Amino acid sequence: MTYEEFADSRLTALLRYAVMLTGDPHQAQDLVQDTMVRVQLNWRRVARADSPERYVRRMLTNQYVDWRRGSWVRRVLLRGDPDESPPVATDHAQDAVERDQIWSWLSRLPRRQRASLVLRYYEDLPDAEIAEILGCAVGTVRSSISRALATLRAEHMEVCS
Amino acid sequence: MTVEEELSAAFAQHEPLTPPAGPLRAAIDRKVAGRRRRRRKLRVGAVALAVLGLLGFAVPQLTPYRPAREAALLPGRVAAAPTGAVNVLVLGLDGSATEERPRFADSVLLVHVPADRSRPYLVSLPRDMEVPIPGHGTGKLNSAFRYGAGQGRPDLAGGYELTRRTVSDLTGVRVDAGAVLTYPVLRKLTDALDGVEVCLPRAVSSRHTSRVFPAGCQRLDGAASVDLLRQRQGLPDGALDRDRTAQLVVAGLVRGAVDQGVLTSPARLSRILTAVGPDVTVAGASLLELVQLAPELKSVEPVGLGLPVSPQPDQGWRLRPDPEDAPAFFAALRADRLAEWTAGHPDRVTRLR
Repeated sequence: MTYEEFADSRLTALLRYAVMLTGDPHQAQDLVQDTMVRVQLNWRRVARADSPERYVRRMLTNQYVDWRRGSWVRRVLLRGDPDESPPVATDHAQDAVERDQIWSWLSRLPRRQRASLVLRYYEDLPDAEIAEILGCAVGTVRSSISRALATLRAEHMEVCS
Repeated sequence: MTVEEELSAAFAQHEPLTPPAGPLRAAIDRKVAGRRRRRRKLRVGAVALAVLGLLGFAVPQLTPYRPAREAALLPGRVAAAPTGAVNVLVLGLDGSATEERPRFADSVLLVHVPADRSRPYLVSLPRDMEVPIPGHGTGKLNSAFRYGAGQGRPDLAGGYELTRRTVSDLTGVRVDAGAVLTYPVLRKLTDALDGVEVCLPRAVSSRHTSRVFPAGCQRLDGAASVDLLRQRQGLPDGALDRDRTAQLVVAGLVRGAVDQGVLTSPARLSRILTAVGPDVTVAGASLLELVQLAPELKSVEPVGLGLPVSPQPDQGWRLRPDPEDAPAFFAALRADRLAEWTAGHPDRVTRLR
C-alpha cells in the first residue's frame, strides 16, 4: 500500500476517531496532522507493519495520550475548553442534552480512559486490540473502562437526583 | 438507557463534527515537503546512479580533446584505450560523500564492453543479493561498501575497493576501472544534458515528493530523474525494478548525449566533465581514460541485463545468484560471450526503449 492509498481510504476515519478522542474538530485536525506528517515521513516503517491502519491508530492514540509532553498541546490549550464545540442539531432535544452532557463529561476523564471508551464504544474493537493500541495489558484496558464508566455513572446520578 | 448505550449514541451523534479531510491532506503534504527539504540538506540523496563511465564509452570522437594536462596528472600511465573486453564497475551511493554515517552502494552496475566493441552491456547486480564479502563473512552486496568505507566520514576508495573485490570474487571477471557516484552528480549531469528521456513500462509514484511519473515516454530534468531513481517501494519487483529504472536512465542519457552531438563537441563535453568531474571518485583509470576507452564502439545503444537471481529458500527478501542460470551467465561474462547469452535469454533483457 502506498501512503497516498492509505490517506485516500483512511484519513476521514482517523479524523473521526480523533474527534471522538479530543471532542474538538480543531484539536482533532492538529492531532491527525502531526501524526500523519510522521506517518508520511516514515511510511516505509509504517507499511511494514502487519496492519498499517492499526499502527497509525496506535501512533495517533499515543500522541493524544502523551500530549502534555508534546509541543502541540501548547497550541491546543490556547484554544480553550474543548467543550465549546458547536451544538449538534437533533430531533430529540432531550436525548441530545443528555448526550451533550455525557460528551462534556468525557473531557474530564483521564485521556487513556477516554481512549479506551472511544475504542470500545465507538470503534467497537475487542479488548485485545484496544490493549494493543494502548500498549498495555487486556486487564488494564478492562479496569480503565470500568473505572471510566463508574465515573460517568456517578456524574449521571448526581445530575438525575 | 445505560451509560454504555448513551456513550455510543453520543459518539455517533458527534460524528458530524468531523472536519473535511481534503484541506487537512493538503496541509499534511505541505508540512512533509518542508520537513523533507530540511532533511535533504542534511542527507543528500540516496542511491545515486551510474552514468559517467558509460557516457565515457559513448564518446567516439574525442581524440582531438586529449589534453596533455590530464596525462601529466597521471605519471607513468599511458593514456591509451585498452584492448580486449573491458569491465567498469559503477556504484551508486545512498547519500553524499561528506556526511558521517554508514554508506551503502544501492546501485551496483557492471558495464561490460566486449572486445569487438559492438555495444555496451549494463549488468545490474541486485543490492539485496547475499554474497561472500572478503573478510566479513557473507552479507548483502550493498553492505560491502559500508565495510570498506569504515566508520565516520566514509572512505569512498575503501568502500569501492571492497565492493570491487566482492564483485570480482562473485563473477570471476577482472574489473578494469570504476566510479562511485552520488545523486548530486547524476542531477548535474542530467541538467547539463538538458534532461533525459525515459520510457517507463508502468507509472511510478514518488515516495519522496508528490511527483507521479506516468507510464510511457517523458523528459525529466535532473531533480526529477534523481527522484525517479530513488523509487523502489511500490514497484512490483522493488529494488530489482529500481535497477531497471537505472538502466533506462543510463540509456536515455547516452542517447541524449549522442543525439545532441555533445560527444563530438569538445567544448560542451569539457564543460560537462568540469561540472561533474570533481564529485566523481574514479578508480583504476581517470575520467578521461574512461572517456577514451572505446572510440570504436559500433553502437552506443546499451543492452540492459539483470543478474539471474532467486530468493533464498528460507528467507524471502534475501536473494542469491540463481543456482541454475547464474553460473552460465558468469561464464558468458568471463568469456566475453554476452551477445550469445543474451540471444538465448531474451527474457533477461530490460527493454531500454
